[in-house]
Amino acid sequence: MEQDAQLVQQCLQGDGSAWEQLVRRHTRRIFNICYRFTGNRTEAEDLSQDVFLRIYRTLASYRSAHGGFATWMTSVTRNLLIDHYRRTKRDRITDSLDDAMPVVENKESAGRRPDEQALLGELSSQVQSALTRLSPELREAVILRDLQQLEYGEIQRVLEVPEGTVKSRINRGRIELARILQQMGVRPA
Amino acid sequence: MNWTCEQTEARLSDYLDGLLESAEQIAFDHHVNACERCTPLVASVSHVLGTLHTLEQVEPSPLLINSVLTSTLGPQSWRKAKRWLRNLQSPRFIYSVVSVAATLFVLVSASGFSWKKPKLADLAPASIYRSADRQAHRVYARGTKFVSDLRVVYEIQSRLRQDNEIPTTPEGTIPKSSPDQKRDRTDGTNPLSPRQQNRANGIERHLEILAAEFPILSGSMGERSIP
Repeated sequence: MEQDAQLVQQCLQGDGSAWEQLVRRHTRRIFNICYRFTGNRTEAEDLSQDVFLRIYRTLASYRSAHGGFATWMTSVTRNLLIDHYRRTKRDRITDSLDDAMPVVENKESAGRRPDEQALLGELSSQVQSALTRLSPELREAVILRDLQQLEYGEIQRVLEVPEGTVKSRINRGRIELARILQQMGVRPA
Repeated sequence: MNWTCEQTEARLSDYLDGLLESAEQIAFDHHVNACERCTPLVASVSHVLGTLHTLEQVEPSPLLINSVLTSTLGPQSWRKAKRWLRNLQSPRFIYSVVSVAATLFVLVSASGFSWKKPKLADLAPASIYRSADRQAHRVYARGTKFVSDLRVVYEIQSRLRQDNEIPTTPEGTIPKSSPDQKRDRTDGTNPLSPRQQNRANGIERHLEILAAEFPILSGSMGERSIP
């Protein structure tokens, strides 16, 4: 976190390499938030680019006293995702959720047995589909808590809602997700 | 403690995150084990939570970072140029450039190059050598003359001082030598000896000759107050 704050200071003094370091440090995390929220790789990459562009333009407004840089970035990402969700609501109604291209999860799964990997890949795509069916409020809460492993306090700062609301949304999101997966035929082993 | 299905649903995340107090935990377990509705709910949500935690990070396209940097900092070539220019701003580089420029300036000026009317021919190695040689000789000649002039001035001053220190006692009487006078005389001779008198006369003649040879010195000598 201190390194982020230092890099931000260098960026504000016009150091391009500091900005490059910040981008390299956070691209994967921002992309994953966008991908889990949209369920679409191309859309997630475009949104990640927009997020960094917005962060670059508003970097001077960041205050380290208000929380870590990562939390601030997550907050900017969340606002942009919500804007994007509202903007594309009409287009999305006509789209089928199954149109999304399957995504290879990542290189770390290479160590697993092929049947395990296939099972995990299938489960992963089902969970991703179920996530995109959640309401945006519940979806963002579940993504931040269970996929990005943020603390309740950090989620509270990102979503700008009381901690009770954060807990309630996470709880409802998990229950709703379980129901959707049951509807999709995914049952606990 | 009485525990209901609504409470189970409302506190399910607290239960899964281990945030329930011990009494609540016991009541929760007791209710879930007995409730046909809550048992599958808890099992399915636990399963979802376990699955979410096993989901791994998705790797973005390798081009994403580059496109982000291009949209914020500009094209890669421009970024490299900016980085290069930024390195030039380091104090060490600036000091080096300034010292090299100063050295060149001194060398070129010493070679006789005219900054007011610069000519390309003046920068030819032969011209530079000739000019430098001429300059060196001129500097040497001026230095020699300066040292020679200084020597003459000091010589005159010391002679004048010696003359003034000769006491005005009646001729033929020998004054008692004081320790101070002895200290000033390095040769240990008596100032009023015939030999010394001859020497004083000789100094006067020398002074006249020097004044005739170096008229500039006569002015400075006149201005100086003799102690």
